Amino acid sequence: MTMRPRYRTALFLAPAGAWFLAMLVLPLLVVIVYSFGERGPAGGYAPAFTLDNYLNLGSRWTAFRNTLTMAPLGTLACLVIAYPLAWFLAMRADARWRTLLLVLVIVPFWTSILIRSYAWIFLLGGQGIPSLLNALGLGNPRLINTPFAVLVGIVYGYLPLMVFPIYVSLERLDKRLLEAADDLGSPPMRRFLQIALPLSMPGVATGCMLVFILLMGEFLIPAMLGGGKVFFVGNALVDLFLQSRNWAFGSAVAAALVLVMLITVTAYMRFTRRWAGGRDDVALM
Amino acid sequence: MRLYALAVYLFLYIPIAVIALFAFNAGRHASQFEGFSTQWFGKALSNPFVMEAFRTSLTVALASAVLATLCGTMAALALQSVGGRLRAAFDALIYVAVMVPGIVIGIATLIALVTVFNWLNPVLAALWPLGAAAPQFSLGYGSLILAHGLFSMALVIIIVRARIAGMDRSLIEASADLGATPWGTFRQVTLPQIFPGILAGFLLSFTFSFDDFIIAFFVAGSKTTLPIYVFSSIRRGVTPEINAIGTMVLAVSLVLLITAQGLLQRGRRRA
Amino acid sequence: MTDRKDTISRKDFLAELERYRKGSVTRRHFLGVTGLGLATTVLGAAVPGLMPRRAHAEGSIGDRVVLASWPNYHDPANFEAFKAKTGAAVDMSVFGSNEEMLAKLQAGGTGWDVFVPTNYTISTYVDLGLIEPIDLSKLPNYDPASFDARFAEPGTINGTVYAVPRNWGTTGYVVNTSQLGALAKPTSWKEFWDMTKAEFSGRTMVHDYQLTTIGNALKYYGYSFNSVDPKELTDAEKLLMEVKPHLFAINSDYQPSMRSGDAWMSVAWTGDAKQLHRDMPEIEYVLGKEGGELWSDFFAIPKGAPHRDAAYALLDFLLTPEVNAKEVAFHGYPVADKRVNAILPAEMLNDPIMYPAAELLDPLEFGAAVTLTDPGRAELMARFKAA
Repeated sequence: MTMRPRYRTALFLAPAGAWFLAMLVLPLLVVIVYSFGERGPAGGYAPAFTLDNYLNLGSRWTAFRNTLTMAPLGTLACLVIAYPLAWFLAMRADARWRTLLLVLVIVPFWTSILIRSYAWIFLLGGQGIPSLLNALGLGNPRLINTPFAVLVGIVYGYLPLMVFPIYVSLERLDKRLLEAADDLGSPPMRRFLQIALPLSMPGVATGCMLVFILLMGEFLIPAMLGGGKVFFVGNALVDLFLQSRNWAFGSAVAAALVLVMLITVTAYMRFTRRWAGGRDDVALM
Repeated sequence: MRLYALAVYLFLYIPIAVIALFAFNAGRHASQFEGFSTQWFGKALSNPFVMEAFRTSLTVALASAVLATLCGTMAALALQSVGGRLRAAFDALIYVAVMVPGIVIGIATLIALVTVFNWLNPVLAALWPLGAAAPQFSLGYGSLILAHGLFSMALVIIIVRARIAGMDRSLIEASADLGATPWGTFRQVTLPQIFPGILAGFLLSFTFSFDDFIIAFFVAGSKTTLPIYVFSSIRRGVTPEINAIGTMVLAVSLVLLITAQGLLQRGRRRA
Repeated sequence: MTDRKDTISRKDFLAELERYRKGSVTRRHFLGVTGLGLATTVLGAAVPGLMPRRAHAEGSIGDRVVLASWPNYHDPANFEAFKAKTGAAVDMSVFGSNEEMLAKLQAGGTGWDVFVPTNYTISTYVDLGLIEPIDLSKLPNYDPASFDARFAEPGTINGTVYAVPRNWGTTGYVVNTSQLGALAKPTSWKEFWDMTKAEFSGRTMVHDYQLTTIGNALKYYGYSFNSVDPKELTDAEKLLMEVKPHLFAINSDYQPSMRSGDAWMSVAWTGDAKQLHRDMPEIEYVLGKEGGELWSDFFAIPKGAPHRDAAYALLDFLLTPEVNAKEVAFHGYPVADKRVNAILPAEMLNDPIMYPAAELLDPLEFGAAVTLTDPGRAELMARFKAA
């Protein structure tokens, strides 16, 4: 009954390997092959070998720029809002209510992001917050279909992904360290900066990573709250495959996006690994 | 601090309140309130497409989570005893699978499968005996499950591996010294230790698939998952039916949560 | 092509496969030439379980029909009535442009039974083999003779009917006159674009649709709505890029934003204009005096429609004059069917939004097939959206 370990290992790895090959390697290879092709006569793809698609990437510069500014900005906004909340939950909240409060952070996540974004269309639209501000005599700003609206949608959509990892790392933190610092007369800000913040860095790194990766491929929030005016690379891809039907150029844009992500994420991981003290499980989970 | 937390919870729940409010709208529009009515709840519950989309989402989420958890756990276990190039290759694949944006996975899967099917279907049709219509490969359950499971599987491998890394190895050695078979050791020592990781991986996989719109949007073919149904309802012009669906899902989860919390509290007080 | 060999090279096999796939050789020929015939016969005989079993449900049309259509285009009550009559529920998805529908069909596996293409696209769908001829014997309520030929003809390609007419309309723009202030009510596309850049900055919408957005930008310069001339397209692109920062949104479903007052002006189709004007009289419809689009929408059945019987039943139901009249009362687009017009109320038949004056209709153009596949227009639209 006992199998030779080598065969067992091979057998255990085979399904995952086959899955990766069929659903990851093959599709990405097709994308790479198509990215050197041409637009078909009625749209789609026609075989060819040309670098034109890559040379034409400049025409999507705005989309790349928007993504590369909004993704870090959105990540930062999530972090700034999530950290104090995670702190409150881990350090201050009544232990009896902590679980409930934690779950309440994630409950909105259970309604589709589509419905939640739709609610924001109403809230940020003329009959929502702007009319409220107007009634209060604070002007009547246009909010919907602006980068600000997209940012609100991003924070709303991704906040729980940031709160949880930070909460977990703060929760694990040995509170006696903070008490000891307090006993030794260290001011609160210094205690925070020298003890709590460095020790919660793994959670911060994980949260930022998760949010950043998801934001780089985002297309729904800008489509719904940006009115087609805040265009991400994801929106450019949807347009190229589901509207303008240029599979070849679309493939080049997709390849470029993956490359940009490989570079930024790898750089980020190098950076945080040094920062968070060499733990290599930090960035991914 | 408390005030700050309250503000964040308000931010989180005001849109939810808006959704719930318009679910009770008597009018057809989801933005102009025209009186109170519960008709949309009935409409949502009796709409066969909503129920079917729900079933499709459930099936896809369950199947992809089960497969991803199984294949991912097996791979994580096997990767312990693998080194060199194979290990590097798997590490790279896991890294890429987690990092490539969903939208690229969706598009790449779509064009790859369309291309493959365009070649495979005629061959199959030609090979099919007796002139009857041959089955055709097309996008649907298969592509949804496999495309969703890909990311999930990478996630499961990462989580289970972290769990294995944190495992107490001396227990395994002790078990082997005491003469347990490898299977016995696995079942009695390894599995209980890595099980929380497997469960977490399964739950994450399920949630990811159940929620996913972007990948499904490209690879669902003629199948409609719940997020796709919601998307097309929004494009059709939102009626409060969508609000009703969202509200019901939330209400059920909230009631379950609060009951659970209440029971826990009572149990604790007694103890 | 009758000489048979026992073996076939890989290259020849692929060539034959490609020919078979395109339909230029028969299955029998393909199997014979490639030697796969013998293999399949043996396989088929040896493994009886491989024989396909097909379950046929005769008589019933099934419980559903999948329709791909446009925003604000169907009266939900008619779908309810169809379900009550036949037992088949209508599952509708909505699209904002013909290009979007084409992209979906090209990727395959849509599951659609019926969709609503516009006149200029039908010849392309036929060329690409994406739609099937209509079996008129299954549409007893469709009477070709009662249709105005101008709006029905594009559905017939080389003598074969591939699509039956639904309704027609124009593409102009809606403007919320309460926001005009001292401005006179605009009457031209020139004013539409100029106002967008000035007084109506941040309040104008254009379609997410190359035909109307580029077409009406071309009209600013007095070019043809259908131009694919590179120089003229360059001019249109310049205008669109200038206008982009001043737009409220790029979206083919502009009714919600017009209703909420967020948008004050939008490129619009007849029926949306009619629906908006009905509920908010201050929203008026303008046909640019330079011209623009006159169009006719059709019902077509994609190849491989999974519920074909239900598709025909739905088409026949919607083409029944009484039902069609209810549709018109809901969507506000004119139909070319005399039988329907005979039962429509007079105020509808005299409605200036639905039936514009002759001098406004005359300069309008039907969309041209070339615009659907012209890469210049597709890329221009994509660049405009990505800018």
